[in-house]
Amino acid sequence: MDADGVQWHRVHRVTPVLNAWKVAAALFAIFVWQYSDTVGQLDLPVAQVLLIILGVLVVGSLIGLGFSTLAWSRTKYGLSDESVFLHSGILFRQQRHVRLDRMQTVDVTQPLLARITGFAALKIESAGGAGSNLTLQFLREETAQQLRNDLLARAAGLRLGRAPAGPVAASTAAGAGPGAAAAGAPGGPAAPEAPERAVLGLTAARLLGSLALSFGIVLISLFFLGLLVVVIVTQNIGPLFAVGAPVLGAAAYWWGRFAGEFSFRVATSPDGIRVRQGLLETKARTIPPGRVQAVRFAQPLMWRIKGWWRISVNIAGYGPEETTGTVLYPVATEAEAAQLLYLVQPDLGTDRPLDLLHTGLVGTADAEGFVTTPRRARWLDPLIWRRNGYRLTDTATLLRTGRWWRSLIVVPHERVQSLGMEQGPLARRLHLADIALHSTPGPIMPRVGHLDLGVARDLLRDLTERARRARHSAGPERWMESSQPPAAAAGPSDAAALRASYGGILPSPGLPEAPASREEGSRSGPPAEPQATEHPQARDD
Amino acid sequence: MDSDAAFDLDGITWRPVSPKLAPVRVTIAVIALGLPLLAGLVLAIIFGGWVWTAPAVVALLLVWVLWLVPRQVRAIGYVELDEDLLIRKGVMFRSLVVVPYGRMQYVEVQAGPVARSRGIAHVQLHTASAQSDASIPGLPEAEAARLRDQLSAQGEARLAGL
Repeated sequence: MDADGVQWHRVHRVTPVLNAWKVAAALFAIFVWQYSDTVGQLDLPVAQVLLIILGVLVVGSLIGLGFSTLAWSRTKYGLSDESVFLHSGILFRQQRHVRLDRMQTVDVTQPLLARITGFAALKIESAGGAGSNLTLQFLREETAQQLRNDLLARAAGLRLGRAPAGPVAASTAAGAGPGAAAAGAPGGPAAPEAPERAVLGLTAARLLGSLALSFGIVLISLFFLGLLVVVIVTQNIGPLFAVGAPVLGAAAYWWGRFAGEFSFRVATSPDGIRVRQGLLETKARTIPPGRVQAVRFAQPLMWRIKGWWRISVNIAGYGPEETTGTVLYPVATEAEAAQLLYLVQPDLGTDRPLDLLHTGLVGTADAEGFVTTPRRARWLDPLIWRRNGYRLTDTATLLRTGRWWRSLIVVPHERVQSLGMEQGPLARRLHLADIALHSTPGPIMPRVGHLDLGVARDLLRDLTERARRARHSAGPERWMESSQPPAAAAGPSDAAALRASYGGILPSPGLPEAPASREEGSRSGPPAEPQATEHPQARDD
Repeated sequence: MDSDAAFDLDGITWRPVSPKLAPVRVTIAVIALGLPLLAGLVLAIIFGGWVWTAPAVVALLLVWVLWLVPRQVRAIGYVELDEDLLIRKGVMFRSLVVVPYGRMQYVEVQAGPVARSRGIAHVQLHTASAQSDASIPGLPEAEAARLRDQLSAQGEARLAGL
């Protein structure tokens, strides 16, 4: 521990080995790319060719190992009450520093090799856009979990005394070192894992179904059928080879979707929403409270058959290029969508949130107080003018659009960055305007098009006012400080007290609006609260 | 034009930007289009015939820009309210942006060589959103500096989380 109270640690010493294969693979790929012709022309016996390949692999691994070891020896991370630090780099030294109250999400990822060997990487996203994350790789799985809990507890504003935050010399901690010890160990209290309740889990059958019901699959199948016909008619299998690359690309995409979203699970805990996913490489993300900037429910055309929705979120820190991190749930029914929305935005600012959600998802015209594109603009939006609209509640804005590709976006008022009103020449003649709610970079760009000019103007003024009020009354960045002063939570070694204080902000029971009362008037009738199964210790990631 | 009224919110008087912005933009356009115009003319004189369409198109473009720029510059306005900065822009495609001071991440003041020679600068307010295009081009340097300091102070006083 240095003068500033920062404890410095190294990542696990197995890191170079886990990283070395990447360098080796890259070298091997370059070799194959560059010299495969040369080796082929040498006209050597197969054994010698194999020997050459083996030699390249060994040399590549050694170079990779040496490089990774050097990188490892120059990498250290530290933790203080306010921040996480990472120093790394061989030639170009880099010092990264993330303030815990600016932390957006914490991910524990396990690439296949690390997963087999029981290691994990910890990724901390801050709101600086792409490349602003801080990745600690690799740590022992328990250490990574422990560090995650610790970071979240500190970010929440809990004071845990001077706990050994992470792994003290992780290399010596053979699974049960002081850092990985459970709360209440004599070495000092470490943050306990916040109690967690499983909310939803995706079955493989539904994932496969959702992939099958996509336009891409249909197109590719048709394409293949056509190709087969051509092959049979012309008695020539040439065309099959010609399309190899695009088919491989498509296959890689679908495999990526399947493997990435396999076993998708969502759970809730006081330190945020936990999302786990992955077939080979697993990811366990924690999204602390108040980090979701916008939610979108989208329904591809063919998912209407099953009534499925894909739910994405904007989170500061995940840039627009991030694809997996922005999915909150890949395939949800309407009832599940309601549960997930409840996790993100417990108070929708209306008495009948389920009706509002239902109308937002599938409704048209002015039901439930939606304001839509005026009739005079129907030739501009012949299909969607009755669907295209917004609904302003006390806490959020709902933006609805799409007749065939339905979409509903929910933006909490306190997450609106800025507002815009836009109008092109056509819209001007029709007295229409668009309103945009500027959100952080991500897959969702909330806007509602072609509103009546007067309506748009009122919306702009209203939203400005509501966003201002919401901003002023927004909770603190350290979400625990609102309900519990740090001193109260610092009965340090008492894990039970800590859990009790955590329990205080567990979604359903503690909130003023119990979900049971919110379910009145439900038509689809999802269970009153997430099907709660206690996960005392979530060891399944 | 009643559509104008829609982008004129109640009780708000928009502050215009410096009229010097128009000559600055025209100068830049002339530099950018002048070279292709010259090249086109030379080629047209050498080869004649249909090649004349190239410089003609460029010349038309230049005339259009010369006609458009002053109108665009006149359409830009901004106003500092208690909690928000409002900026409006555009003749054909209009936009109005409302940026709360508390959402400001940083303020940027820029001036290119042409703008500097005329003593104007470009002030841009950055929020955590990439979509909020809160930029005010063509402010006199003193006003740009004042606005920068004012926005920074306001942003600090009203700082909100993400």
